[in-house]
Amino acid sequence: MGDQVDLKEFVGGFIAESDQLTASATAGLLEIEQANARNELRPKTVRDLFRALHTLKGLAGMMGIEPIVELAHAFETVLRSADQAGGRLGARGVELGLITVRGIAERVRAVADDRPVPRAPDGLLDELARVDITGTSAAPAPYVAHGWDGRLAPGERTQLAAALAANKKIYTLTFAPSDATSSKGVTIATVRSAVAALGELIKVAPRSQPASADAPAGLLFELLVVSDASVEQLAEAASSTPGRVMPVVGEAVAPASLELPADDEIAPIGRSVVRVDLGRLDELQDALSALVVSRFRLERQVAALAAAGVDVRGLRETCEQQGRQLRELRRGILRARMVRVADVLEPLSLIVRSLTKPGVKEVRLELDVRDSELDKAVADRLLPALVHLVRNAIDHAIEPIVDREKAGKPRAGTLRIECREGAGNELEIAIRDDGRGIDRDAIGRRAGKPILDTATLLDVIATPGFSTRDSATETSGRGFGMDIVRRIVVSDLGGELALDTAVGRGTTFTLTVPLTIAIIDVFSFECAQQAFVVPVATVEEIFELGDHNAVTGPSAKGRLPIALIERRGKPVQIIPLGTLLRIPCEVTAKKALVVRRNGEALAFAVDRMLGRHEVVVRPIDDVLARVPGVAGATDLGDGRPTLLLDLVELGAGVSNWREVQPS
Amino acid sequence: MTGLHVAFKVGGAEYVVSADQVLHLESFTEATHIPGAPAFVAGLVQVRGKLVPVVDLRSRFGITPGWSATREHQLDNRVIVVSVGSRVAGLLVDSARDVLRLDESTFQPPPDLVGVQAAGFVKAVTTIPPSRLLLVVDVPRVIGEEVAHA
Repeated sequence: MGDQVDLKEFVGGFIAESDQLTASATAGLLEIEQANARNELRPKTVRDLFRALHTLKGLAGMMGIEPIVELAHAFETVLRSADQAGGRLGARGVELGLITVRGIAERVRAVADDRPVPRAPDGLLDELARVDITGTSAAPAPYVAHGWDGRLAPGERTQLAAALAANKKIYTLTFAPSDATSSKGVTIATVRSAVAALGELIKVAPRSQPASADAPAGLLFELLVVSDASVEQLAEAASSTPGRVMPVVGEAVAPASLELPADDEIAPIGRSVVRVDLGRLDELQDALSALVVSRFRLERQVAALAAAGVDVRGLRETCEQQGRQLRELRRGILRARMVRVADVLEPLSLIVRSLTKPGVKEVRLELDVRDSELDKAVADRLLPALVHLVRNAIDHAIEPIVDREKAGKPRAGTLRIECREGAGNELEIAIRDDGRGIDRDAIGRRAGKPILDTATLLDVIATPGFSTRDSATETSGRGFGMDIVRRIVVSDLGGELALDTAVGRGTTFTLTVPLTIAIIDVFSFECAQQAFVVPVATVEEIFELGDHNAVTGPSAKGRLPIALIERRGKPVQIIPLGTLLRIPCEVTAKKALVVRRNGEALAFAVDRMLGRHEVVVRPIDDVLARVPGVAGATDLGDGRPTLLLDLVELGAGVSNWREVQPS
Repeated sequence: MTGLHVAFKVGGAEYVVSADQVLHLESFTEATHIPGAPAFVAGLVQVRGKLVPVVDLRSRFGITPGWSATREHQLDNRVIVVSVGSRVAGLLVDSARDVLRLDESTFQPPPDLVGVQAAGFVKAVTTIPPSRLLLVVDVPRVIGEEVAHA
């Protein structure tokens, strides 16, 4: 992407300015502390501090460093009340201030060193929210439930603390929606009310994960409940099993203290993070695929033994156990590939900042992405589409201040990005602007046809070359590049793109993309005028058939005729792919793709090679379309499915092939 | 009880399916042939990013030649995308134009011989004035429930 904004360009300035601000904030706090000791007030210093924190928050916001924003915002709120109290900031307030400023400084250093920025500690944020700014004593310790850290609001923690004080039991329940539950009419809504009837339901949190036996829809709901009911009753209410009702152990959190670690020992707070090159995860996944293949081989061998009358019960049990472990491993690898959507969207704040012209066109970016996560491979492909949409919104949709004021709108435009996880392992991302909207009639005139609905409108503006045809489209609300956005979302990621717009009020683009995708490197080729793809990894070599003298040996009537060629001193079998697939074939095959099956080389004759691509493969789920030798389908960019062949599996079917007599 | 139904034509006869089972209608140009799939499967199409198998109703209803055989599509051809349980499939029909509100209490079981001949694909018949005969399609059966349980 040529127009990517370089983070580095801003990082230097950000660090220099932040260092200065944190240093002066620390000095100010110490000054207040000394004044407190003499029973004096320092209202001006409090206001200076407030301004310093406010600037820090703004800077961090522009850089998209959320933990600093949170910390600065929390202490800024404390300072505002201190200011309103005539500049009175008590001893505890000063101490919390020092911890906060120190925390901000650490995170600035993390940015400087290009390390992951640790999250803002919940305990500190909680105490900042409740500190008695004039007093000297610490507020009551908040309550933390293990496994729910960072997911509970202060009010919910208080609810928990009260439950603990009353010696009540706390549980986490899991509800996994599936076809079975929905056919019984059990939904999260019914579970919620059933559980609420048994006790105090504190929180319900959805969690998406790769589909598995435990979560067939790839979605789980976790319910935190205070209840005296039995584990069995709770399990029944959540349509779950008693084994999945987990008691929650909670503990009071010690108030934040000013024990500072040495500079060289600063560890990320909260979770620890390891950065891994995506290529290494891919390698891991490839190794796993190889393991799956050898497991199938093992299963076949076990079946052969059983057929020979050997007692294989022990072996079979081990096989099944291994299968479960493999699935577990696969889930683990998929989880390791997930990145936080908030991190993915980070560069967008910079883009918004660079496109905003103070006094001419101002834009406020609002992100509401919660804890959503996305496969790194999806995220990398998606980001250019989001950048296009954000750019277009600011360049073309959001009006200059003059026009906005004339239209009675707020000076600054708002660009809001919302994310939520949909059913079926999907993430829905809405990009909402409050700009001028797309003028359907103007677009219709340009396209030379009336536009009656938003689907057609989207079709028209996403037609390659549509908007570049006439520069006047700039004023109609949307710039160029919608074809690219649609290609990324629909063809590359197998997702959906939708549009909603109202003239004068704004436009929303909604992208629905899968949370994970399988991307593989494939060769495309043509056989009997139909295009197919095969994984590059399975193809040993490709050679010209014309260079060889093929000999067709005898074949029993009705069997697949297999030719032989000599290659590097060895006979190689040539399987006519078109005939094998029973698709009428007129062209003589020109190329052969070689795969290895049980150590033996098999060459498949095809008409011609088309190319090599990285594609997203979608599984073929429906029984009507699931056939041996077809592993899935992909879109090579023409909007039509192209089948992904498993040549090794097709090779296995050769001996059973019989000519079909036309009836 | 009345309900909305989508009416369509296949080989001269007129059929209906309940609108509750229909997700949307798509125009049709071609489908990707799936080697080894049942003969009545015209192939695979991509609808809004999803892979959907298409059942060629001419071929399914024994009316030849179906699209699968000739590969000649008509401008009127439509794919009715239906959903049954968790499955989504397309029905390739000659044309689909009407959405009708039908009184389901007027539905009658198909006459004996037709019932046998239609292999259960027609679950009822009904008529609407002036003299329109409509065959009510058993969608789960048509999209090959027997294949699903094989």
